[in-house]
Amino acid sequence: MVKRLSGLQRDVLQMYRQCIRQAHKKPEANRPNFIGYIRTEFGKHRNLPRKDFSTIEHLLRVGHRRLENFSAAEVKDIH
Amino acid sequence: MFSSLLRGSTIALRTASARSALRPVAAISRTSLVSPLRAYSTGLNRDDISARVIDVVKAFDKTTASAQVTADTHFAKDLGLDSLDTVELLVAIEEEFDVEIPDKVADEIKSVAEAVQYIASNPEAN
Repeated sequence: MVKRLSGLQRDVLQMYRQCIRQAHKKPEANRPNFIGYIRTEFGKHRNLPRKDFSTIEHLLRVGHRRLENFSAAEVKDIH
Repeated sequence: MFSSLLRGSTIALRTASARSALRPVAAISRTSLVSPLRAYSTGLNRDDISARVIDVVKAFDKTTASAQVTADTHFAKDLGLDSLDTVELLVAIEEEFDVEIPDKVADEIKSVAEAVQYIASNPEAN
């Protein structure tokens, strides 16, 4: 049972991957905080219907912007 | 007068040590011409890769402690990981082997065996 992912689903997975990769660049002690934050932020919309394209696209845009902000080297920890 | 004498002697010492330090460097560079010092992953054997991947999977905090991780464990079916957890696990594996798995390939990796297969085929893994 190989479930094919839609393009949008793949975009979401790609953003999740970028987020996790960024988290691995942060100081090791604070890494769990970043990972936990990423998980809860994605988890908030876990039950969003997969056909709700406009909401998903909106969240992707918001997420990318936030990822950019948190990618800055000055950001060392998150709460 | 005394201090200048001392300084002179330390300089003499330093040049002496610099000269002695120079010789082995030259020796190393000569041998490195014969045999390159960098070893690529041709030395990585499949069992090692498999063992390291399994260790990473076991260390992953969403893997249930009781789960038996073997070379043919499937991430979703055997470990109950969802697609996001799988992504996280793959980034951990990337870190372990110091590679970056391209998105398209990563979307297809769903088991320990597939991850091992990819790492084995990647010449930059170490």
